Amino acid sequence: MIKLEHVYKSFGKLEVLKDINLEVKPGEVVCVIGPSGSGKSTMLRCLNHLERITSGTIYIEGEIADQRENNKDVLNISQEKVQELCTELGMVFQRFNLFPHLTAYENIAIAPKNVRKQSDAEIKVIADELLEMVGLEDKRDEYPSRLSGGQQQRVAIARALAMKPKIMLFDEPTSALDPELVGEVLEVMKKLANDGMTMIVVTHEMGFAKEVGTRVIFMDEGRIIEEGDPREIFDNPKEIRTKAFLNKIL
Amino acid sequence: MLTQPQIFAIIEGTIKTLQITSIAIVAGILLGMIIAIGRISKNKVLNGITWLYIWFFRGTPLLMQLFMFYYMLPLFTLDIFGTAVRLPGMFPAFVAYSLNSAAYLSEIFRAGILSIDKGQMEASKALGMSYTQAMTKIIIPQAYRRLIPPVGNELIVLLKDTSLVASIGMFDLLRTVNQMTNATGRWQYYLYAAAIYLFMTSIIQVAFGKIEKKYSAYE
Repeated sequence: MIKLEHVYKSFGKLEVLKDINLEVKPGEVVCVIGPSGSGKSTMLRCLNHLERITSGTIYIEGEIADQRENNKDVLNISQEKVQELCTELGMVFQRFNLFPHLTAYENIAIAPKNVRKQSDAEIKVIADELLEMVGLEDKRDEYPSRLSGGQQQRVAIARALAMKPKIMLFDEPTSALDPELVGEVLEVMKKLANDGMTMIVVTHEMGFAKEVGTRVIFMDEGRIIEEGDPREIFDNPKEIRTKAFLNKIL
Repeated sequence: MLTQPQIFAIIEGTIKTLQITSIAIVAGILLGMIIAIGRISKNKVLNGITWLYIWFFRGTPLLMQLFMFYYMLPLFTLDIFGTAVRLPGMFPAFVAYSLNSAAYLSEIFRAGILSIDKGQMEASKALGMSYTQAMTKIIIPQAYRRLIPPVGNELIVLLKDTSLVASIGMFDLLRTVNQMTNATGRWQYYLYAAAIYLFMTSIIQVAFGKIEKKYSAYE
């Protein structure tokens, strides 16, 4: 579904991703863990072109989404194609990034309306269903400023799902939340995973990774150090760096 | 008190002041938007041209710009092309004030757009929106509200600065009452002008306050 081949990414002289190779199959819930600055978020952001890779190849649904060498395109991909591929990926941000001038409902409706050109009636069905799924039917007409962090993040999840993406990317979705609000967001994500959604989740929630993840990836200094079954990684890490990280965090 | 011709003269002067102000603010907003887009764009040529424009019109006195379109243009064209090109009637003032306010307004617009959190553009892109869609549906509607107070401020400055046209021989509100004082030796005329200026700027202030309130529903 998603494949990264020899992906490198540098910001100026700073190399943040070094030879990343990763394949995600349908239905997998891949949890990416690691210290801050290890390149987890950058890897996620490269998938939907929020960052451009320095070199390597990214496949989405079997199609080349990006292929570059030394910061130059090997394959010229049109802006329209990039936008189309972006709609296959739904993204949830650490700081929600809801549109503050739109209500919860309008936040969910805006992309189907403008990108997919769906009719208002179609959108209403989708949006109402999603609001119910994230448990916020009663907040339909509230502006984000009137919602708690957890509620905002749930709207953000619904907004991403409205485009019917095949893969959901979560970039530390609970890191900006007060501790008591983390649970409600994880609950929604769990529901999503149980429904068979393919997910890549950058997270510090080890409990979630252990319980919901089908695979855990440990990254450090821009490399994938270790990957495998969550239980195995948490209970019996092979690499010294993984052990050190888990000791610090658990 | 005022005689009837004096009242007419004051009204006429006020209309001139309003004409210059309204033309300059409308033309300034339109041109200012184009310049702001040029300043934000990644195109180096567009960026350079718009930078030069703002550099010139903010960096030189408005009075000088007025002189350039009124006194310098005919002399310049006579010297270079052999015929003097003169802008008719009030046009030197229209052009100078429009170009000048465009420079200030474009900086207001640019700052407004850049003040929107970059996460908003990222979220729009992640949802598959094009740059234009993200700008028109997400970024500009948010910037819009933040622009209302500084644009109101610019409008008030503009209205007051129109009094500079006295120096290119036009009879706006201030020059009209100045003339009356010179002719009669009475001081009251300045107070009439002050009252009219205050009346106009107060209307702007109240109107912009109302607009701002209307658009702050979501905060």
